[in-house]
Amino acid sequence: MASFKPTKIQVYPKLGEKVTQDTLYWKNYKAPVQIKEFGAVTSIDFSPVTPHNFAVTAFTRIHIYGPFSQEPVKSFTRFKDTAYCGRFRSDGQLLVAGCEDSVVRLFDVSGKVALRLFKGHTKAVHLTDFTSDRYQILTGSDDYTCRLWDIPNATELTTYTEHTDYIRCGVTSKLNRDLFITGSYDHTVKLFDARVEKSVITMDHGQPVESVLLYPSEGLLVSAGGRHVKVWDLLKGGQPLVSLKNHHKTVTSLALSSNGQRLLSASLDRHVKVYNTTNYKVVHNFDYAASILSLGLAPDDASIVVGMTNSILSIKHRKNQEDSKEIAGQQRRRPSYRVFVKGKNYVPKQDDYLVSKPVKEHLAKYDKQLQRFNVSKALDTALGTYIRFRKPEITVAVIKELDRRGTLKNALAGRDERGLSQLLNFIIGNLVDARFTPVLVTAAEMILDIYQSVIGQSPVVDRQLLRLQDLVKREIEFQKDLLEVLGMLDTMFASSLPRKEVPCSGIATLDWV
Amino acid sequence: MAADGGSSSLQLPCVFSPKSRQFLALCAQDGRLRIWNTDSKTLHQEYVPSAHLSATCTCIAWGPCRTVKEGPQRKKRKSEAVQVEEKADLLAMGTAAGTVLIYSTAKGALHCTLDGAHSGGVNCVQWHPEESLLYSGSDDTNIVEWDLQTGKTRSKWKADHAAVTSLCVSPDGKLLLSAGHIIKMWDLDTKEVYRKFTGHSTAVTTLRFATTRPPDSNGLYFLSGAAHDRLLSVWQVREDGKDKNSVVSFTLTDEPQHIDLVTSNSKEEAVRLAVVCKDGQLHLFEHFLNGPCKKPLSPSCTVQMSDTKESPIPIPLLAAVLGADTRTVMLAYGSHLQPVMEKVEINTAERHVCLTRDVQTTLSLSMETTVSKVKTPIVNAKSKVLVPGLPGHKAPLKGTSQGSEKRKKDTDTKEMSIAERLGEIDLSTVSEKGASKGTASLTTDNFAVLLVQGLESNDASILNKVFQTRKEMVIKKTVARLPLSAVLPLVEELTKRLQGHPFTAALMVRWLKAVLMHHTSYLASLPDLVTQLGVLYHMIESRVKMFHKLTKLDGKLYLLMTQMATSDSSNVVSDVDHTAKLVYEDESSDEDEASGDEGLPDEDSDHWEEDEAMTEDNQEESEDEDPGSRTESKANGEEDMERENESEEE
Repeated sequence: MASFKPTKIQVYPKLGEKVTQDTLYWKNYKAPVQIKEFGAVTSIDFSPVTPHNFAVTAFTRIHIYGPFSQEPVKSFTRFKDTAYCGRFRSDGQLLVAGCEDSVVRLFDVSGKVALRLFKGHTKAVHLTDFTSDRYQILTGSDDYTCRLWDIPNATELTTYTEHTDYIRCGVTSKLNRDLFITGSYDHTVKLFDARVEKSVITMDHGQPVESVLLYPSEGLLVSAGGRHVKVWDLLKGGQPLVSLKNHHKTVTSLALSSNGQRLLSASLDRHVKVYNTTNYKVVHNFDYAASILSLGLAPDDASIVVGMTNSILSIKHRKNQEDSKEIAGQQRRRPSYRVFVKGKNYVPKQDDYLVSKPVKEHLAKYDKQLQRFNVSKALDTALGTYIRFRKPEITVAVIKELDRRGTLKNALAGRDERGLSQLLNFIIGNLVDARFTPVLVTAAEMILDIYQSVIGQSPVVDRQLLRLQDLVKREIEFQKDLLEVLGMLDTMFASSLPRKEVPCSGIATLDWV
Repeated sequence: MAADGGSSSLQLPCVFSPKSRQFLALCAQDGRLRIWNTDSKTLHQEYVPSAHLSATCTCIAWGPCRTVKEGPQRKKRKSEAVQVEEKADLLAMGTAAGTVLIYSTAKGALHCTLDGAHSGGVNCVQWHPEESLLYSGSDDTNIVEWDLQTGKTRSKWKADHAAVTSLCVSPDGKLLLSAGHIIKMWDLDTKEVYRKFTGHSTAVTTLRFATTRPPDSNGLYFLSGAAHDRLLSVWQVREDGKDKNSVVSFTLTDEPQHIDLVTSNSKEEAVRLAVVCKDGQLHLFEHFLNGPCKKPLSPSCTVQMSDTKESPIPIPLLAAVLGADTRTVMLAYGSHLQPVMEKVEINTAERHVCLTRDVQTTLSLSMETTVSKVKTPIVNAKSKVLVPGLPGHKAPLKGTSQGSEKRKKDTDTKEMSIAERLGEIDLSTVSEKGASKGTASLTTDNFAVLLVQGLESNDASILNKVFQTRKEMVIKKTVARLPLSAVLPLVEELTKRLQGHPFTAALMVRWLKAVLMHHTSYLASLPDLVTQLGVLYHMIESRVKMFHKLTKLDGKLYLLMTQMATSDSSNVVSDVDHTAKLVYEDESSDEDEASGDEGLPDEDSDHWEEDEAMTEDNQEESEDEDPGSRTESKANGEEDMERENESEEE
């Protein structure tokens, strides 16, 4: 028995937007939770220990948020002036923060009052961090110095005065307790070694440095400043590897996705860009409402936290397993997959007599109707609301199949006002789509032939026909323009291929196709 | 970091004159003091302090109203002694440099400068209600008492560990409140601390006495507001000294910016309070101050203001003062550079009131008013004042010249000539360039930058903004200014956008043409031109493939629609009149015959019969085509149409 051939739905690629794994991965976040802070959010730091709370520094306060709560679980308000750069220690127990009044404060995460005050800087302190041995603190200030402090007795150990402008960012090595890196508005990034008491490597970024970031391996360093993001190889003595310029305003913050495969940069131009760290191409782009000052990425990319100048903190949580479980719960009533595959992989033994049973083919509804030659009904099905709007290619494929069979006229005929207006609506909506134009133009012509006599009876249909006419007019105008462009391109191609003896346009087009 | 949140220092001082509320003094972002007349809603005076850019004005306080004759001891005032009315006159301005300027509105000039006492910026100034004394608090933690008759400091004392951010003198003139983080109450006779009140964690920005009762009656209340604090606290000064905590608090939506209150003199009288918050909302409170109240009080009425556009944008309120009765409120709103003052009746029965005002028109009120003290401002048409706080507002405000009020009258003639000269220069430049040309070049410049930015960061909103231009010239100039490195990304972006609906794609074609036109040589010089533009070429080719069929469809549609239109009109004109149509039919065939005669003069009369037969056939055919569903009139209409077309073609 010759089986029915289901209608072939052609999948047309759409030019321009490529859906990659990255897009899917980075789109898989819920709608953002937005929290209004007291001032511009200047720093976001995730605790290295579970449950990965994060500290948000905004104006004179540091709030600590839990991974799911929308209320701060803890807040430090004992700042006399704007606080900066609240950072956790590697055990998540202590938090250090700088302040506009030049005092560095060290807090116990469970306490409220500062455990230690480090006084010595003369201007605002924008950089604070713990060294990897956990007993020292690195600070960098607007007085052009960066200092190392001892935590237990709150004394200053060393002062480095190599920078010639504000120090606004820095990071300590997680592997070596003596190494740290600072970035300054004097356009340089310096790697210091506490054992030799001076900078070991100096890298010239070219713009005031706003943020630095170390790779987990600590072989590569990323610096951001001006509109550039630059990657440096520390093992080769600070050799520049890559310079990225994908923002149109100053890049303010950097983050690395937890597996180190993607680099994120946030900028005052309201974008967060995601780069692939193997080829440094932008793979995804987030848009935000205001200029971004700080960016934080939870471990395993569980959430993206962004702080903006309009004092809004935006938290995007990853759609997690529980959501998909809920969907599974709805479908639980159906028989499990095991039932369907039961006995499918049974291998017949040698003496078994094999009775083959025809596999029942699953056909879509319109295919079933086509099989029974219910052409009108098939078209109706294909014009169903869901298919019409979500998968117009199916509708078009059915129309094409009907045309191929020569029954399109029958299918189109005999419709009332509602049916006809629905059909015309679909045609108006999709006629200009280059993928569907050939089929739909045929259909439109047929409709006009069939319903010619009754035109003018229904104001609804008349209005739609007017719209269609307008649309077709525009499209023709547009295509005329395009033809002109085509002519221009031909000329250009022709002039760019000097080897051809007769560079006429026809040859030129054929040549390169 | 590159940008910071707004801090309290950004608050611009904005004060109504006492009693009659005749004037509004405010210091705008440009450092100038402007005094607006609230009755005529016009600019009364403008004063530019000599150091208005370096030492910005941080606070303003109106001196107590006094009759001009009251101060005969001041020599300078004697010349102005003609006015007898009690009028707000002196204005004290504290500056960031630590000086206090006393400005006289009656004279329209600086009265005197008080300096030499503060080493830090002045945060607040307060007048003594009766004596001619002035108190100023500063960042250097001191309070200074100035004697205005001598212009010298009378006393100076350290008030706090931190900066003194706010001051208030009690109505009877015996007590002074000062605040940094801690509020202290001083006895002004002995300059000793009378009470201390703690509770605010941030700098206190506002202090006001709420009652006029003496301090030993348990009836003296005052209120305080602090930076980044959404509560106004009310404190009771108790005889027994048990006044550790605030007794009442009022909730706000943001930190208070301007406060006006009507004090109560007895327990039976409520305190009325109008608070303008930093977010531009006004909250009205009414409360009987009588001991503590645990719950924070919410406003009895909240007033907001928005503009009249389709998507309304809130207009920030700057200041508000309460009128004599409970319902009238005088509001100042809009920008600091050109505030709008208005007396409104507010229905206090409603909890939330939203007023809509068309600021665009009110803002562009001309400032050319000839008030006696103001020299005619030179209006420079070219200068645009950008107004912060009103996003999207593009109407250029007319800026006034630097002409200050300090000049003597004899310079008047000179100034006029400068004004004329300036005007002439403006005119000549405008006529040379042509206004439209000037603006166009400006926008294209911006557009080219915007376009490059949009392409670099792939920002859809910027690109949409640029690509929506319809002006051919702007497109051309923008493309011409585009750096070569941005050409290929632009072409790629255009390729993407060309696929869309013809309504929008038609604009993209214009851009594409402009690119091809302007950068032909660059594109042609590309070695991989074919691969670069291949996608575009393919795309266009596949789209124009249907040109033929579409044009045919268009023709079909055109025919049908015109038919429909004519049949409609014929339906209207003659729905019942059948005979008329038949007559018309005959005529048309006659015409046909006549035209045939012209072309072929040798035709016989029998041919005429054939012709008639043919027309009849035609008629039959057309009737066959429309079985039953169509009336005869329709068929006639069709034939009419065709005939008309034919005659047109001929």
